[in-house]
Amino acid sequence: MKTKLKYLVKVSLDRKIKTKWFWVVNVLLLILIVGLINIDSVIKAFGGDFDSKQEVFVIDNSHRTFDVLKHQNDNYSSIFASDDGSPFKIKATTKKARTLLKEKKHKDAWVLVLDNDNENVLKAKLISEGYISTTDYAGLTTIINNAKSQIALAESHINPNDLAKISSPIEIQREVLDKDKKSEDENMQMILSTIFPVFILPFFALTIFLVQMIGAEVNDEKTTRGMEIIISNVSPKVHLLSKVISSNLFVIIQGLLLVLFGVIGLIVRGFLGTGSIMQMANLDIGSTLSSILQSDIGSQLTYIIPLALLMMLLTFVAYSLLAGVLASMTTNIEDFQQLQTPIMIISLVGYYLAVMAGVFEGSLFIKVIAFVPFISAILAPCLLVLGEFSVIEFVIAIILVILTIFILVKYGFRVYKEGILNYSSKDLWKKMFKALKSK
Amino acid sequence: MLKVENISKYYGDFCAVDNLSFTVSPGEIFGLLGVNGAGKTTTFRMIIGLLEPTAGKVTLDGKKIDYSVTDTIGFLTEERSLLTKLTVKEQCHYYGILKGMTVKEIDDRLDELLTKFGIPNYKNKKIKELSKGNQQKIQFITAILNKPRLLICDEPFSGLDPFNVELFKEELKDMAKKGSMIIFSTHRMEHVELFCKKIVVLKAGKDVLSGDLKDIKRKYRKKNILVKGDIDIDKIKKIEGVLEVITKPDEYEIKISDESVKDKVFNIVSKSPNISKFVVEEPSLNEIFIDKVGETYEN
Repeated sequence: MKTKLKYLVKVSLDRKIKTKWFWVVNVLLLILIVGLINIDSVIKAFGGDFDSKQEVFVIDNSHRTFDVLKHQNDNYSSIFASDDGSPFKIKATTKKARTLLKEKKHKDAWVLVLDNDNENVLKAKLISEGYISTTDYAGLTTIINNAKSQIALAESHINPNDLAKISSPIEIQREVLDKDKKSEDENMQMILSTIFPVFILPFFALTIFLVQMIGAEVNDEKTTRGMEIIISNVSPKVHLLSKVISSNLFVIIQGLLLVLFGVIGLIVRGFLGTGSIMQMANLDIGSTLSSILQSDIGSQLTYIIPLALLMMLLTFVAYSLLAGVLASMTTNIEDFQQLQTPIMIISLVGYYLAVMAGVFEGSLFIKVIAFVPFISAILAPCLLVLGEFSVIEFVIAIILVILTIFILVKYGFRVYKEGILNYSSKDLWKKMFKALKSK
Repeated sequence: MLKVENISKYYGDFCAVDNLSFTVSPGEIFGLLGVNGAGKTTTFRMIIGLLEPTAGKVTLDGKKIDYSVTDTIGFLTEERSLLTKLTVKEQCHYYGILKGMTVKEIDDRLDELLTKFGIPNYKNKKIKELSKGNQQKIQFITAILNKPRLLICDEPFSGLDPFNVELFKEELKDMAKKGSMIIFSTHRMEHVELFCKKIVVLKAGKDVLSGDLKDIKRKYRKKNILVKGDIDIDKIKKIEGVLEVITKPDEYEIKISDESVKDKVFNIVSKSPNISKFVVEEPSLNEIFIDKVGETYEN
């Protein structure tokens, strides 16, 4: 029987992998993943002026502000804790605003008119051809306000040393009483909770693959009545087991290929010299990764990753058993497609809750749901990263998945045995409940 | 020997097979007959072990049929049981290996059978590319690939032209000669008459007629008389025991209720002019089948 099981696994796996479509799909995935990782290079390749700074022409009618403003702009990085420097290029001008903006090369520039009011207080007017982004507006406002404060302090005849002390940012020392937590790791959890759902997305895609494959295969053998020949030679248990093993092997292979495509994408990125992977999201993968690895959470990942992988593999097994049992009950692929919708939604719930877990920190609802098998594969690792799930709680979630597998094996096999040779949807649930009671 | 002893199968309150018994010895070809829904497929499924009988038992050489003996059984389902995306070779490898054969054994046997059935070049063709008749050939080949000791064929001749029906029949006869036990079902009574030794006729799961085919025919009271010549049909119809007179293009078929009526018919016919034929025949299995099943329907 072992030889037959091995053979069934091999045939089933060959039918998934030794097809031209498997290769076509993977070539497409490779192109898409490499493209996505290098999406900024792709966008730039099609042209556009993305690196130039916003030109801001200053008409300084106050005759005292421009130099201070320029100085504040030069110190933009220290004000906003940004590595990219100021997004503004500030220049003085004596031209009239409207005249300047009519010039073709300056049509996207802004003009900042600075003046003194009756009480000799600085006032400003910002002129642009079109809309201004809220972020840029906030940045420029901060610079102007800082400049205003500087001028006010300077004109108050305060000693330069005192002025420097007043102007310098306050140094805040942090102390976290929980010995297991470091203040440096404070943002890391938030970063990881944002990144984790992204990394877990392929799991969601692979689950869909897995469920569809088993359903299609069981239905194919059932509708062609090939099932009768197969089941007359191997037991339903061996047959379902072969589907579970082959489908799980397939998703593992496909998962590894996705990782490989990701690595290729990063290597390509290295060759292109683009550097940061998510500049648009202001997230530098290189520095983020090194920060993660150097942080305490980095050391926690050494057990978080294996635990998460174990949870995923066990959930794949549970999903494949469930899909096999459901597929055996259906009489055609259309019926199975309808049945698989709730399975997909369960998985989707897990994904959404994982995304929201960072926002609703400490939510009891999310924590309870994270124990639910099938959902736990996505949600529990996310909560573990956020520090809302202890390792013991995670292990309990794993035990619950193992328990689900046990129930599916014990009772699912009974339904499978009855279902695969049932070709009528009449009294289906009655038949299946009866099968559950049989031994 | 295959021994089916008092098997019954119930689906809830519905009785699919009711207390059925028969035996098939090595070298015997056994016919399981019945209209659609009579319980033939359920009986086959119970024999092969796909279904557990509600009562009774099925044994092969004294042992219960389970996965330890299924490698010696061949099964041809009524509907196509081929995975149409596979090639002929892949399909035969699939089912052959499940029968415990090695790849080499399968390849050698496949070459032999493809040649025998006149399709030696179809080995690498996809099953979905084949005609209905050739698909049936491949299905038959997959069933006999392992030279089964027990072969179960559910409607093996459906979709075949007369030439290929002959090929199948010859193969079945050949297998029986070599000691295989063969059970098959069909709607074509002439096939059963040609090479079945024993039969069971099922109606609504019940055995309505069973035994040795020759005995069944002999014991069947109704007979047919074939007459060639100028006879007075009205006179013959008036004879007590004459059931029907059928006018054929060049002869008459007179159906009688039992053998004793033949002398009365002969007395009339012998006085008629130009009589060149007077033959008393046993009825065909088809007639017996319709009679038996029809009676049951009428009841």
